[in-house]
Amino acid sequence: MTAPIYEVEGLVIDLYTPTVSVRAVDGAGFHVAPGETLAIVGESGSGKTVMTLGPLGLLPEGVAVDLRGTARADGKDILAMSPSDLSRLRGGFFGVIFQDPMSALNPMLKIGPQLAEQARRYAGLSAEAARKEAVSLLARSGIPDPEDRYGRYPHELSGGMLQRAMIALALAARPRVLIADEPTTALDATVQAQILALIRQIQKEDGIAVILITHDIGAVSVLADRVAVLYAGQVAEEGSAVDVLTAPVHPYTRGLLASVPDFRSDNASGTKEIPGIPPNQARLEPGCRFVDRCDRAIPACRSRRPRLQAVAKGTVPHRVACPVVIAAEGIVTHD
Amino acid sequence: MQRMFMRRTGLALLLMLAATALTFWLVTAAPGNVAALIAERAAGAGADGAMIQKIADDLGLNDPLPVRYVRWLGDALTGDFGVSIRTGKPMAEEFSARIPMTLTLLAGGGVLALTLSLVMGIAGAASNGGVVDRALHGMALVGASTPNFFVAALLVIVFSVWLGWVPTFGVSGFTSWLMPWFTIALFPASVLARVVRVNLQDTMSRPFATTGFAKGLTRRAVLLREALPNIAIPYMTTFGAQFTLMIIGAIVVERVFGLAGVGSFFIEAIRFRDFIGMQAILTLFVVFFVSVNLFVDLLAMLADPRLRRPRKA
Ligand SMILES: Nc1ncnc2c1ncn2[C@@H]1O[C@H](COP(=O)(O)OP(=O)(O)O)[C@@H](O)[C@H]1O
Ligand SMILES: [Mg+2]
Repeated sequence: MTAPIYEVEGLVIDLYTPTVSVRAVDGAGFHVAPGETLAIVGESGSGKTVMTLGPLGLLPEGVAVDLRGTARADGKDILAMSPSDLSRLRGGFFGVIFQDPMSALNPMLKIGPQLAEQARRYAGLSAEAARKEAVSLLARSGIPDPEDRYGRYPHELSGGMLQRAMIALALAARPRVLIADEPTTALDATVQAQILALIRQIQKEDGIAVILITHDIGAVSVLADRVAVLYAGQVAEEGSAVDVLTAPVHPYTRGLLASVPDFRSDNASGTKEIPGIPPNQARLEPGCRFVDRCDRAIPACRSRRPRLQAVAKGTVPHRVACPVVIAAEGIVTHD
Repeated sequence: MQRMFMRRTGLALLLMLAATALTFWLVTAAPGNVAALIAERAAGAGADGAMIQKIADDLGLNDPLPVRYVRWLGDALTGDFGVSIRTGKPMAEEFSARIPMTLTLLAGGGVLALTLSLVMGIAGAASNGGVVDRALHGMALVGASTPNFFVAALLVIVFSVWLGWVPTFGVSGFTSWLMPWFTIALFPASVLARVVRVNLQDTMSRPFATTGFAKGLTRRAVLLREALPNIAIPYMTTFGAQFTLMIIGAIVVERVFGLAGVGSFFIEAIRFRDFIGMQAILTLFVVFFVSVNLFVDLLAMLADPRLRRPRKA
């Protein structure tokens, strides 16, 4: 297995607003290697965005942040970097695609010149070459008539085209890690598939690391090599996409998959929602975060915080944070 | 865009008509008899009823109000605003002597307000809750709540009386303009600085600002290059409103600093019940109000690509 290129461990992120403080990420971690696609799944508010982008300093404006843990990009400690080094890393090493392209692109700025500027600053191209690169990136992202679109403002493009432009912008600096934060949630169903196909194609061609944050289990099964399931700021289960999707162990993962229509054939008859809502992350309980919604919970779950245990050996370890199911189903652990 | 432009311009012209008609009516309805005043000026105590009647007839003061307004409008459109009752000179002559003074005051004050507000607003947003931000917030509050005659008095005491740097009264050269400019700019600068600060903060929490950070820009670059263009519309609209209000400030400032502009003329016109002078100056104010707002609205439209280049369906 290739060494990870972006790696986060034991991350704790507390967010403080004037009214509330929440532990948005509570000891979670993940890693992704070049050429690999990691999917991060979980309900809204489970901390996917904050966990992935927080170490890069991309956190909500106007919220005080306390961030602990380790985060490495290409072996370098991100959290110890100076603000200007971190800025350069964000611009060049990482490319980010956001959920809603309509609001993620500056309405006052033309699209093309932004791409050209990235190419110039981070790929070291001349002004002329950068402009050419920008046009070819737009073309590569599937935007018709890229010469014309180069000089367009965001409001002149449709949502799907804007997301393609956003992808082109993220690629302009030739990043090593592409982070796509729910890149299709705001788009029409027909466009969603095209955008996912584009991300997959780029991933194949460039061999870069991709982190795909998504609700879309279908997208996970198509794109992801590995999956991390996040619940209330903690990793509930992680492993290869095949293992996690076909042999889920954690009750939350099982519930999540059961709630997806037609995902598994044995479940085609109907879907069921996980009852209840995620816990209040402003009040930290000592035990398992999922306990109140879990049909397998035992009293011990309330006092004991489950740790991730490997349930399958292999190149990609499958790890689960639920000792109850592991014990009840006689699953062998390897650590 | 073009249609919008035409509509705004048409609306502005209508507004000018309505406003001048209203002021004409108000000025005419004000207590005091124009003919009697003129007769008094001409013949002193010897003015009698017949003379007053003749003057009123000559000026058409006995005609119905709409007729008088239309006549006045016709004259005004050819640049004839009548003869000031107080000074006995044509208003057009008074205008050409006084408008440059007032325009210098407004232009200098406007430039100062623009500069101060942008510097203060951006510095505040850059400091983002820090000492500089809070200090500037405090300054803006003080600036927006101190009456301009008080500011003027303070400046005169410090810079003219104590330090002797600038003359107390009248203008001669650049430095003597500084106090009037500052006095008239302080309020709009304070209001605009808050507009800049608050809108920048709001813009910095929008998703595209996060994209700016993700592009590798520093906070300063995101603030200046990504957020600042986005506050153009609220900033320009507020500036337009504040700039037109500066004409009210000019009335006070011109008097305090002894500037012979249209503002000080207006005060004198009221005191001497110079109805013709009042109407002429009020017309000037209306034209200024409406055209500045029109200009600023159109400028704001040009600044926003969504309005400048509406998407074709
Ligand atoms: N702007 C914000 N202000 C306050 N709390 C926030 C803000 N953004 C996120 N959070 C908190 O952080 C948690 C994780 O958010 P996020 O990472 O955006 O979740 P996800 O991406 O999984 O939907 C949320 O539950 C929320 O409580
Ligand atoms: Mg999110």
